[in-house]
Amino acid sequence: MGTYIIRRFFLMLLTLFGISLLIFTMLRLVPGNIADIVFNAAGMIDVAEKAKLEKELGLDRPIPVQYVEWVSGLARGDLGYSYVSEKPAIDEILPRIPITAKLAGLALLFAVTFGVPLGVISAVKQNTTLDYVLRVISLSGLSLPSFWLGLLILMAFVAYFGAIPIYTNPPKGFWNTLWLFSIPAMAVGFRSSALVMRLTRSSMLEVLRQDYIRTARAKGAPARTVNYRHALRNALLPVVTVIGIEAAFLMGGLIVTETVFNIPGVARFLVEAIRWRDYPIVQNLVMFVAVVAVSINFLIDLLYAVLDPRIRYAS
Amino acid sequence: MSIIDLPVETETADRPESVWSKVRYHLGAHPLGAIGAAIMAVFVFCAVFADFITAYSPTATDAAVRLLHPGAGHVLGTDQMGRDIFSRIIYGARISLAVGLGSTLLGSLFGVALGLTSGYVGGWADLVIQRIIDVLQSVPLLVLALVMAAALGPALDNTIVAISIPLIPYTARVIRSNTLALREQPFVEAARAVGMSEFRIAVRHVLPNTIAPLIVIATAQLGAAILTEASLSFLGLGVPEPHPSWGRMLSESAAEFVRTAPWLVIFPGVAISLAVFGTNLFGDALRDILDPRLRD
Amino acid sequence: MNTKLGALTLVTFAFATLMFAQAGEPKHGGILRIYHRETPPSLSIHEEATFSVNIPAMGLYNNLVVYDQHKPQNSMGTIVPELADSWSVSSDNLALTFRLHQGVRWHDGQPFTSKDVKCTFDLLQGKAKDKFRKNPRKDLFNNIVEVTTNGDFEVTLHLKRPQPSLIAMLASGYTPVYPCHVSPAQMRTNPIGTGPFKFVEFKQNESIKLAKNENYWKKGLPYLDGIEFTIISNRATAVLAFVAGKVDMTFPTEMTKALIADIKKQDATAICEIGPINVSTNLIVNRENPPFNNVEVRKAMALALDRKAFIDIIYQGAGDVGGTMLPPPEGVWGMPPELLKTIPGYGDVQKDREQARAIMTKLGYGSNNPLKIKVSTRNLATYRDPAVVLIDQLKTIYIDAELDPVESSQWFAKVARNDYSVGLNLTGNGIDDPDQAFYENYACGSERNYTHYCNKELEALFDKQSVETDVEKRKKMVWDIDKKLQEDVARPILLHARSGTCWKPYVKNMTIMSNSAYNGYRYEDVWLDK
Repeated sequence: MGTYIIRRFFLMLLTLFGISLLIFTMLRLVPGNIADIVFNAAGMIDVAEKAKLEKELGLDRPIPVQYVEWVSGLARGDLGYSYVSEKPAIDEILPRIPITAKLAGLALLFAVTFGVPLGVISAVKQNTTLDYVLRVISLSGLSLPSFWLGLLILMAFVAYFGAIPIYTNPPKGFWNTLWLFSIPAMAVGFRSSALVMRLTRSSMLEVLRQDYIRTARAKGAPARTVNYRHALRNALLPVVTVIGIEAAFLMGGLIVTETVFNIPGVARFLVEAIRWRDYPIVQNLVMFVAVVAVSINFLIDLLYAVLDPRIRYAS
Repeated sequence: MSIIDLPVETETADRPESVWSKVRYHLGAHPLGAIGAAIMAVFVFCAVFADFITAYSPTATDAAVRLLHPGAGHVLGTDQMGRDIFSRIIYGARISLAVGLGSTLLGSLFGVALGLTSGYVGGWADLVIQRIIDVLQSVPLLVLALVMAAALGPALDNTIVAISIPLIPYTARVIRSNTLALREQPFVEAARAVGMSEFRIAVRHVLPNTIAPLIVIATAQLGAAILTEASLSFLGLGVPEPHPSWGRMLSESAAEFVRTAPWLVIFPGVAISLAVFGTNLFGDALRDILDPRLRD
Repeated sequence: MNTKLGALTLVTFAFATLMFAQAGEPKHGGILRIYHRETPPSLSIHEEATFSVNIPAMGLYNNLVVYDQHKPQNSMGTIVPELADSWSVSSDNLALTFRLHQGVRWHDGQPFTSKDVKCTFDLLQGKAKDKFRKNPRKDLFNNIVEVTTNGDFEVTLHLKRPQPSLIAMLASGYTPVYPCHVSPAQMRTNPIGTGPFKFVEFKQNESIKLAKNENYWKKGLPYLDGIEFTIISNRATAVLAFVAGKVDMTFPTEMTKALIADIKKQDATAICEIGPINVSTNLIVNRENPPFNNVEVRKAMALALDRKAFIDIIYQGAGDVGGTMLPPPEGVWGMPPELLKTIPGYGDVQKDREQARAIMTKLGYGSNNPLKIKVSTRNLATYRDPAVVLIDQLKTIYIDAELDPVESSQWFAKVARNDYSVGLNLTGNGIDDPDQAFYENYACGSERNYTHYCNKELEALFDKQSVETDVEKRKKMVWDIDKKLQEDVARPILLHARSGTCWKPYVKNMTIMSNSAYNGYRYEDVWLDK
């Protein structure tokens, strides 16, 4: 077990290293840098002044040197300064994380509270009309672009309530916060809940076919007990996995939803930073998301290894 | 090819042989899939015959007919530059299909190459490819596409490439695990015994057997690719004007008309959702038919 | 009919007076909430070139002189003293002396003196030890040889040649006075001014907050306790926020005609104004490479333009046809319509296109053999939309154009490389003044003369109008220059857009400038009647 964990841990570090290389190189491949953008806003390019700015920001040094500098800074916990605001990158990134975390958390909560029960119902009532209706709804959840859903929700709110659930000032108090975040969370969470529902359904169906369930049934255990106590518990494990993976995927939905609802979280900030070629922000933010995603997967792998001994010997 | 042992064939061995009757059988067994197939057929038809379906050019601007309500003449109304929305949606099918198919094919190509190598060759190749896949999988899909699109610049072909990259890891993973299982199959050992080269075995015997799961994954990814294109265009990257891309039709300038001219926002959104919904329905049925074991 | 009209005017007048009486004395207090269309690059006005900066930042600073904040049309006659109590011009017109207000303090408590004025111009001219990261308007002040101080409260600008419009540039929102004791870097992150509002915080993508300067040197001002700008980049969302009362005012000059109609439908009490903003949509034509190095092709393209269609399609009719200078009546220097009509491409569109097709046919192009070009533009809606219309119009004269959307970061670099054939561009003018417009955009060697149009004869005329002190005489000279520029297809001007601003009726004393979008945001005497 110990060697397995160590091995997995090193592989995780290797993956993170790969991600840092990928994002760093890709950013440098994107044409233009902050100096171009800064001067673009002024409607001209002054070559000498631009070179001066590049030098000031260290953009004139060889790319490998820049990379080593970034990674060694990262190791020391020094994320550098945002090119745009000239404030420490950490001060720009940290305050925005709770905002996105709240949104993502609510979206996942929404996904689980709707997705799991509906998935179970769908599986238990397999091939009934209810099952078909639920499956169509869940498929539509995977088919609607979340920004469009957001726009529709906004339209509906203004048309029926005259109110608008967009973020203008940081909300005060628990209920205000909940109200403000729950609507965009629904727009993002619809997709995730559809996914969770489909997965719950299929893994539930698989478990229901297993021998021990048949045995439980044969022994005369009530259907309710079999379905909910034995089957659901076993069906949840793959669902948890997907929720872990979905956390990284959620980012995409968050980007467009934060744009539509004007939420000043990290997702929209990332897009803006890409536009500004604000390397310190983009690099560190992508690394942050990657670390979250990779650690979740790491933990899930460990969980599996604990639950299923075959895995740790197989690899 | 006689040794190919598709699970489908064993399953359908006792059913009538003709292709059409098979299709008819499956359509009956999967009504939702049939609906999906019908939606996809309409979608493809629009893309191919756009020139014959529409009365207006999708790019012609006209101040006299700005923001017309849906109705006679312009069935779905006109946009802020007086362009016919119906024409733009029909031609938009072409863009969506091009981006969807293009990026799915490209993504599958890379995914299969990586997955097959990783699974069949094993060892160092496997380790390296696994890391590449891990890396690609840990960066959010849209972020990866965003940076790629920014790096390549807004153009149709670049958008296809940008969207295809994030599709690679999933395909590669599934193909790899399939290959791992197939590698141990008797027919592979048989081929080896006859003295076939490893490369030939991989391409002639292992690859064809991964086609079924590949088709299933690719159909699911087609929908995802269309959605990603829409998101990219919504954020201002992706397929540029004046190409009538559905996502672009929903972007900044159209979002301004959410209240005053809602049809600008509603119809392209419906088109995207319907097309993706169709591919998803179809993909689901296909999965049930081709490979009941393969789950999300 | 006449009496009726008269009566109506009278009633309106009485009503207005009544309103004013009711509004009564300005009230102190309250926070003015405005939405902002984007995250501005910084709040250091001297380093930036967009009114996204001027609008939130102008309240932090003061100028030597400033345009009267309540006279919509900026002109020489509306310039009033600010940090300078008075000013005088030497008899040879080569020295401009300002006597400064005493007792002014910077937000950090330091006293304001003539040294600060000198520092500001030294920075602008790159003579100071500290440097701006970028200095987009340094060319505006090329004519200043030296700045001298005489004691703490007198400062003189010495000029190379007489330049009556220098004072106009000083009055613009673009020319605040910066403190000596604060570095340019700090001015970007934590600006210090003498203005009615102090900087509180600036969060990217979120908000900009300003608070009342309790020690403002203009007694009793400002009325507001502060101003909050909420950044909302999606215009539809922003409109909804305004209608729902989450903000008191829209971002100045961001509302289109259609959006204003929508707002009025939602909230009949909203006050909306629509007017020109002195930003022109124009074409930059690469006159050095084929096909547009051929003057005939340039001429054909100029003849193909249907300017009214651009205005109708993109701005729902809210725009004006004109030359380089903003058209009258809002614009002070624009060509009168009679003169405009005589320029090729400004007359009957059908006839002009006939002529253009004849030219193209002569050059060997036709409907089966169109000239293929690319129209390059920034990948932003305000640039892209007119480019799409242009492509559509060029079809009528056998030009088959394709859109080449360019990332904003690449746009000027691409233009500087001459890597385009036709570009669609927007040019904003900080002040309605020929010196700024001509030298910046058409002088040989100017950084923003993207097309490298260079006409020495015309440049001599630029200088000649610049030293002319008689406004009426100068106007005639400006018209002649403007006409020549259009005839030369130097940078075909498609239109001058109009756009609007809305605010709630309790926002008082708000004036929107009618010939500039850069100068009217001091907000020191704006108040809320709540």
